[in-house]
Amino acid sequence: MSDMSKTFLKVFAFVVATVSLYAYVGQLVPQFEEHPPQKKVITPETPQEELVAAGQELLRGKGGCLVCHKDQESGNERGPDLRQTAGKAATRKPGMAAEAYLIEALVEPDVHLVEGYPKMMPPSMKPPANFSMAEVKAVVAYLQSLGGAEVTVKVEAADVATGKQAAGPVHRGKALMAEQGCIGCHKVEGEGGEVGPDLTKVVERFEPMKIAQKIADPKLWTTEGYQAGLMPPRPDMPEGDRQEIAAYLAGLAGKKYSPTGAASPWSHEGVRLGVVIAVFNVAMLLVLGWARAREKKEVA
Amino acid sequence: MTQATTPSAFQAVKGTYKGVVKISLMLTATYLIAQALSSILPAADYRSLFGFSNRTAVWIVAELHLMFAAFVLGVPIFAFITEIVGVATKERRYDDLAREFTKLLAMAYTLTAVLGCVLLVLFIVLYPKLTGYLSGLFKPTWLLYIVLIFGEVIVAYLYWYTWDLLQGARKKWHLLLGLLVNLWGTALLFVADIWVTFMMSPAGIDDANNLVSLWDAINNHTWMPINIHRLLANVAFGGAIVAAYAAVRFLNAKSDEEKARFDWMGYVGSFIAIAAFIPLPFAGYWLGREIYQFSEQMGVSMMGGSFAWLWILQAMLIGGLFLASNFYLWLGMGRIPGGERYNKFQIGMMIVLTVGFIVWATPRSIIASGAEMAAMGGSHHPFLGLFGVMAAKNTAVNLMILTTFFSFMLYRRGNRIPTVSWATTGKIVQALAIAAAAAVVVGYGIYSYFVPSITRIGFSVYQVSAVLAAMAVFVAIDIPLLKGAKEIGAIRWGQIPARAQYALFFLAVSFTWLMGLMGYIRSGIRQYWHVYGRIMDESANAYTMTHGHATIIVSVIVVIFFLLVSAVFAMATRYDSPPNPRPVGGGDGSSAADAASMSLAAASLGRPGGSGGAQVEAKG
Repeated sequence: MSDMSKTFLKVFAFVVATVSLYAYVGQLVPQFEEHPPQKKVITPETPQEELVAAGQELLRGKGGCLVCHKDQESGNERGPDLRQTAGKAATRKPGMAAEAYLIEALVEPDVHLVEGYPKMMPPSMKPPANFSMAEVKAVVAYLQSLGGAEVTVKVEAADVATGKQAAGPVHRGKALMAEQGCIGCHKVEGEGGEVGPDLTKVVERFEPMKIAQKIADPKLWTTEGYQAGLMPPRPDMPEGDRQEIAAYLAGLAGKKYSPTGAASPWSHEGVRLGVVIAVFNVAMLLVLGWARAREKKEVA
Repeated sequence: MTQATTPSAFQAVKGTYKGVVKISLMLTATYLIAQALSSILPAADYRSLFGFSNRTAVWIVAELHLMFAAFVLGVPIFAFITEIVGVATKERRYDDLAREFTKLLAMAYTLTAVLGCVLLVLFIVLYPKLTGYLSGLFKPTWLLYIVLIFGEVIVAYLYWYTWDLLQGARKKWHLLLGLLVNLWGTALLFVADIWVTFMMSPAGIDDANNLVSLWDAINNHTWMPINIHRLLANVAFGGAIVAAYAAVRFLNAKSDEEKARFDWMGYVGSFIAIAAFIPLPFAGYWLGREIYQFSEQMGVSMMGGSFAWLWILQAMLIGGLFLASNFYLWLGMGRIPGGERYNKFQIGMMIVLTVGFIVWATPRSIIASGAEMAAMGGSHHPFLGLFGVMAAKNTAVNLMILTTFFSFMLYRRGNRIPTVSWATTGKIVQALAIAAAAAVVVGYGIYSYFVPSITRIGFSVYQVSAVLAAMAVFVAIDIPLLKGAKEIGAIRWGQIPARAQYALFFLAVSFTWLMGLMGYIRSGIRQYWHVYGRIMDESANAYTMTHGHATIIVSVIVVIFFLLVSAVFAMATRYDSPPNPRPVGGGDGSSAADAASMSLAAASLGRPGGSGGAQVEAKG
């Protein structure tokens, strides 16, 4: 074995030993996995005990409230102790009922800060917690139960709708329909032209996959009452984009359709990539030619 | 990529064109493979890699790509600076050193590009929906990125291939190429950071995640702090890897001349690594502050939530780095005549570093049984718990930085005795500056216990400012203080124990592992979000894994990286040849003023007045 190989082995052994030491220390610290919060449907019919339990789960999971607060003896104290919030809620703002105060404290926490605590709580109906009003009320129910007070909060039907969209990989169908000019002729969600049929609920009549095919080849069918041959075929539109539009329309009809997005939008980028590659190669070839000519001249 | 002995302009352009062809083929292949796989594979939002976790696959490749990218972006920065020092001081050894640094880049560029291409294919194939969204959002930046890649390849290869061609009067053109390499590289880094920081702290999009303002999406809360943090970290990392390369060469050296050459190179590499490492925690504070400002919840999760334990690991790593770098410097003092005068400070500095290390590595909550917790009155120890909070840790790290800086300054002064009339006053002011900074750091550290976290994190700025101010004052006095200083003797380059080289390996491994760990924390604090608070990860891998699992993956990445980097070193060694005799500098930096402005850098790199270099030259 050469000296070089011996040195390499020694150094490599040193590297592995150092890395192993760090990995070992990594095993000594507390080990736990954190999973995404479970999705739980809360409705006006949800029994009170379940509402309280859901509130506790939201507070500990999706809401991330215990990062700053505590709901038991041990815990964090960056924010007020949650065991006392419901009890003190009625006295916080003159003229405001305890339940209303608790809801406001969750939805707009900066409106009234508890003395001695900084302005640092994120509004619960905005990302990352992104609660619906029903979820806010479930947390309020839990807070009321913590303080031993009567759980008065009630979930209404209007509270159930989720807040802002904040789930799953994004579908770009809506933007694509505007970009590609579809809404010039079709109405979607109340906006657009009337040359073609309203597409808001089209997926109730046709499978999303068929919609994607129809964009490429409009001759597949013509909706009764509309003129055939008006819609331009778009086989040039990337498969992924057509699937995106189908997925968006499926969502409007209350159906879940989640295609891959295939090559999109990378299929658009092929030409641009090719142009950049070509420009740099041609430029380099020109410079190479110039350098060669200069060298020949110098030799001559 | 080998270099001809006397390359012509044609050969230089030809070599560069090979690089362009290489990157053209790689990008074309990447595009075609990604397109083909996307068309063939069944529709899905997420895919696994032959049953292997998509997250782990992307993680490993992304981190390896990042490490090589850090190396190829970091090394040209100090290669360029070293080259400027060579021109300013007219010492050939600096030019040779800069050339040696640059030689390591060639293979590394190729590996970086290959890993980047594999990463892109993995993104498109394993996370098609998310990649589609991000690509659509940042389309103009992708195009810019590809243009920048070509630009970087061209200037970097030209920088290397024209090294011998652009000497003498033409040196200024080579320096211009060096500048361009760094500008292009920095631009590449900044563009790549757009995507990653948007995922952490999204901006510029509406409630339905549609783009509202591209500039706002780019200039999000964490973009600039991460740019600066990575820029500094790249230099530190590059320096550490170069030092490790020099250490290998030192251990294999057959002659005293070779030993001297690689001892000096190792010293310069480690100097660069530590010099860039010292301001790194400050950039980290800025990043932390921005994270808190973007989302208090994210900040608290990072520092006080599930990731808090990983900061204990970080403390262990950084503490180890401080100890190893000081150990290396103190061993290096052995080759400086007169260095023994400063041995008396070593015990004190060792105590500060060790106590700082212990405080920094003290966890806030202690793993204890029920009985032990009952005895302590909770999970926090009544006394030791006081050292587990940021107030103590910030104080500890600032004192460790100050101590390491002081170590460097003593090393720098090793064999010189100031002769200026105001030497005593100057030294007293320097001592007062250090003492004042230490007092500010400790004072704010104690005061931090009595204020809320949002105020406390602001105190770190005052502590950092005090340390930086003390360093600035110290250096500002040191330059004129040592001008015309009496030299006790020349540095005996090459006369350093082999264990000092293992300190350099330790630095390199620890830097690399630290990069892997910090990358995991930065990415992990998004928890189950692809784009924090906006786009949820709905794959089976959306959970946050155990720290033990994460550290094993980081370790595997580090071992793979060192195997790959060994291949780079082997290639560089294979093409090694003695430097060609050639003139250095074109006169542009030869004025007395320029030389003076370079004196600190030169003195810090080469150590006193170039006398060590003279020894290398003499032996050569």
